[in-house]
Amino acid sequence: MLAEATNPIIRWEYLVDEWDRIETALVQHIQLVVLGVGLGLVVASVLAATALRFRWTTAPITTFTAFLYTIPSVALFGLLVPYTGVSTTTAVIPLVGYTLLVLVSSILAGFRSVPASVRDAAEGMGLSPARRMLTVELPLALPFIVTGIRVATVTTVGLVTVAAIIGEGGLGRLILDGLRRTFLTPMTVGASLSIMLALILDLALWSVGRALTPWTRHGRRARR
Amino acid sequence: MTIVAQAVRRDIGLFEWLFDADTWTGGNGILAAAGDTVRLCAAVVVTATLLAVPLGALLAHLRRGELAATWVVNVGRAIPTFAVAGLLVPISLRWGLGFEPWPVFIALTLLSVPPIFLTTFTAVSQVDPVVVDAARGMGFDGRSVLLEVESALALRVIFTGVRVAAVQVVATEPIRAFLGGGGLGGYLRDGLGQNNDTLVLGGAILVAALAAVTGVAFGALERIVVPRGVRRLRHQGNRPGSSDRSSDRGEHGQASFQPAGEGAVDPDGGLRLVGGGMR
Repeated sequence: MLAEATNPIIRWEYLVDEWDRIETALVQHIQLVVLGVGLGLVVASVLAATALRFRWTTAPITTFTAFLYTIPSVALFGLLVPYTGVSTTTAVIPLVGYTLLVLVSSILAGFRSVPASVRDAAEGMGLSPARRMLTVELPLALPFIVTGIRVATVTTVGLVTVAAIIGEGGLGRLILDGLRRTFLTPMTVGASLSIMLALILDLALWSVGRALTPWTRHGRRARR
Repeated sequence: MTIVAQAVRRDIGLFEWLFDADTWTGGNGILAAAGDTVRLCAAVVVTATLLAVPLGALLAHLRRGELAATWVVNVGRAIPTFAVAGLLVPISLRWGLGFEPWPVFIALTLLSVPPIFLTTFTAVSQVDPVVVDAARGMGFDGRSVLLEVESALALRVIFTGVRVAAVQVVATEPIRAFLGGGGLGGYLRDGLGQNNDTLVLGGAILVAALAAVTGVAFGALERIVVPRGVRRLRHQGNRPGSSDRSSDRGEHGQASFQPAGEGAVDPDGGLRLVGGGMR
């Protein structure tokens, strides 16, 4: 039995004494999330563009991303270790892979939600395909894409903690470190901070999405 | 922690390890570890189903709780399972309950309630009002409508929710080994700890295989559980749902949910279930 006095759920001095460690872990956590979602967005955009341009590729792309998503995260991190070692690459590859399903389907849903009449009107106004894509279709697809990014980000925050098992993993390392030493404070700090990080990032992206698409705030109650 | 590390040679080949009978049997064998995993996962899925299905069905039947449903999704998907389990371990230790299985059990239950609740809620609220009216006209009371009409028609979609949740739970359960517990994740943990690639690869393959088997098993179970009449509705493309709601279907054949208020503006459509937390 642990003595309450020596090993409380949280020892507040730890926050002050070990702040450097906490900060490093937090920064690494955010870096991995940004890297995972950022690269994921790049890959997903390419895949979605391919699916939109060549319709027959939609099914294989969707199936492939769905397959990636079903691989257990612990297994995928483990599978890569023999090949890419214990490195940031090993952590980032699965993170990117897991964002693809959500991101590709949100981009596709977004662009497919653009009414044909709007597309025709843009074409009638003489916009080139590239301009039509950037100035008309992309803004209309944005609410879907932002939602996809939010889901991907929150999921990635959770997955990064799992990456701690291969020695990466930001705040997850605090959790594991606490477990190894049966010292409760780092576990509590790491877990609480990653939950808070997920909620804060979700809220931040939601605000960004709202600011980018002011027209969705009122009206548009009619079904698509 | 009282976990006995796997005593495995470092230079053993993957096939040699996987095809050795000793690897599979005994107290430290794969079968025992897999059994451990399956038992915990089964307990989690049963608990989550017992919590989520009655609640979801009742709320949908009463046409209430759309806000609660939205809340469950948004909070549910924001919960990092590993972190929640990590947060519960200190509390569990403080209460003298040990490292496991309670923290992981609770975290996995939290992971699996949202998809089951949502599919149930969506499926029941999408049952064609004409059918419900017809049942009422035939003298069914509210209870019978819920139990014999709405639940029956919603069964297939509800089952999809349970399957999604079960696969997620099986895929996530290996974190337990890293939180001082047992189960299939132990091979990965020991492999990483001993720098033994064979154990890491073998463990990863076993975990992935069990998740895949779970998906297939639930597919088979669905054929047994869902009445033939309800299944036929799907084959005719004649889903039990009013036509103006049919756009609410997710892209991946899973039911999705759009709350009436915000839903018309909120483009979450097919995404919400897909992003239900992490594996």
